[in-house]
Amino acid sequence: MVRALPPLLLLGVLAILPLSDLGPNSVKVLFLTFVAVATSVGWNILGGFAGQVSFGFAVFYGLGAYTTAVGINLGVSPYATYPLASAVAAVASLLVGLPTFRLRGPYFAIATIGVSEATRVIMTNLEFTGGASGYRITEHVPFRQIEHYYTGLALASLAVAVSIIVRRSRFGLGLRAIRDDQEAAADIGVNPYAYKLGAHAIAAALTGAAGGVYARYAAFIDPEGVFGFPRSVGILLMPVIGGVNTISGPVIGGGVYGVIEEELVARFPQLHLLLYGVLVMLIILFEPGGVIGLLQRARRLALRRKVASWQPS
Amino acid sequence: MTVVDFLNLLIAALLLAGTYAAMAVGMTVIYGVMKIVNLAHAGFLMMGAYFVYELHERAGINPLVAVVLAFPVFYFVGMIVHWALGRGVPVSDTPTLASLLLMFGLWLVLQNVGYLVWGTDDRAILTPMTFATIRFGEITIPKIGLVVFASAVVSLAALEFVLHKTWFGRSIRALIQNRYSCRIVGIPVERTARLTFGLGIAFAGAAGGLLALLYPFSPDFGRPFLLRSFVIIVLGGLESFSGVFVGSLILALVETFSILIVPSSYQPAISFSLLVIALIVLPGGVAGFVARRRRLA
Repeated sequence: MVRALPPLLLLGVLAILPLSDLGPNSVKVLFLTFVAVATSVGWNILGGFAGQVSFGFAVFYGLGAYTTAVGINLGVSPYATYPLASAVAAVASLLVGLPTFRLRGPYFAIATIGVSEATRVIMTNLEFTGGASGYRITEHVPFRQIEHYYTGLALASLAVAVSIIVRRSRFGLGLRAIRDDQEAAADIGVNPYAYKLGAHAIAAALTGAAGGVYARYAAFIDPEGVFGFPRSVGILLMPVIGGVNTISGPVIGGGVYGVIEEELVARFPQLHLLLYGVLVMLIILFEPGGVIGLLQRARRLALRRKVASWQPS
Repeated sequence: MTVVDFLNLLIAALLLAGTYAAMAVGMTVIYGVMKIVNLAHAGFLMMGAYFVYELHERAGINPLVAVVLAFPVFYFVGMIVHWALGRGVPVSDTPTLASLLLMFGLWLVLQNVGYLVWGTDDRAILTPMTFATIRFGEITIPKIGLVVFASAVVSLAALEFVLHKTWFGRSIRALIQNRYSCRIVGIPVERTARLTFGLGIAFAGAAGGLLALLYPFSPDFGRPFLLRSFVIIVLGGLESFSGVFVGSLILALVETFSILIVPSSYQPAISFSLLVIALIVLPGGVAGFVARRRRLA
């Protein structure tokens, strides 16, 4: 119960925050951060829990974005398009996963680069969504930023909830077994292929919904933006920075990324990727646990100090 | 399609294959010895391109001389990188995700340093040869393609010589086969790994310079070629040097002749699709496939 308190408190603060006089720019940054957190948490279900690093999550993000975009333009209610975006992304994840999960580790990772680049090329040439020049969403209701804010918050909360449920379930235990030792997992009756496909589908569904929520806010999407390699890179970097294979790591990573991204991209478009590159290298070399790992290390250090300075009275 | 068209395409494919082989071989040596999937290969290809470009533009050095200069320069760069990343790039038996992500981070750094230094504009190295062609009746051969092909072949021949005739080359091949036995017979594994990493990066840099003579480039130059390199070494069976030639030839032929069937806007998807197919259908590469068929027969 005590452990659940800080996250719930955070959620409460975020829920009432817009009531105070936040500028539209801060609301925008927070909204984008929520979307980032949702994708980050989604990626972690496959990349963290199951240990299958994918460079291809832009495929699901983009498909979700385009599904929502087309849906809204056809007159479907935006909220009905989000589950649809999830479903499309999940189906796509099966199509991607069926062949590529026959590969392991780095081979899988490289294959996903191929899949995402191929998808981008196809979407760039697809006439019906406007090809490379992008796709505009026209909604016949006034733009209300606060509505987007709460949609984003709900999405991020949903993602975290799913992540916690997966983590605590038998299914999540199976994923962890696969991550640690695929052969041993298979020996005790965990079907690695099916489990990975499941994790991939859940992760893709969350990412697809995030793409949809983003698309409605942006009102304009193009293949380079939602399917581009930098998008995949971003989705992968957030959990790695925050700390893979944890619940809160991807949330922290997504938060850091969302806020920094908005501030840095505008001013130094190249510097932020450079920064992320350096960060990833430092993390792999010195603290594979990411921000979470650092915090744990600091806590251990503090504890050791306390023990060392303890004097019997 | 006439015979002349066919011959033109075939020659184009062969010239391309030579360049591809030089491009992919750096990735193979590093993978073979250290089992690192070197995603930073893309970054070093790009750096090689700009290295040649700068020497050509500023110092007026002939691009081919600059490519030769790229070998020692990038060799040292590679060794420094290996030294700096020491604990992140251990010699291991299976590829690890940690080293993959590490190399990925290095790629991001190189790419964005490229953006900071040279901006986003496309550059090209133009020489009198760039648009020149050699004609044999109706068959035309681009001069620059021929020169690049020749340089690639020369560098690959030199590599073959090093691999088969020197102590260093033999220890590389031994390391690819079995690193435990290497320790027993007294091959310094870590030192050889460092030299190999240097060698791989040297080839990446020089190949990047050669590619820059053929195509315009920007700091994102390496990405499509990274995937092509990976297609090639997967087709070739990941660790075999002769496999690299087979893989390059297959990729070049497929890419060149697919022009006849696939619309040009979908061209970039070909190598990626081939990669996925190769990874799934031919896990042991073409050589592995042939060996399996032979066993079955």
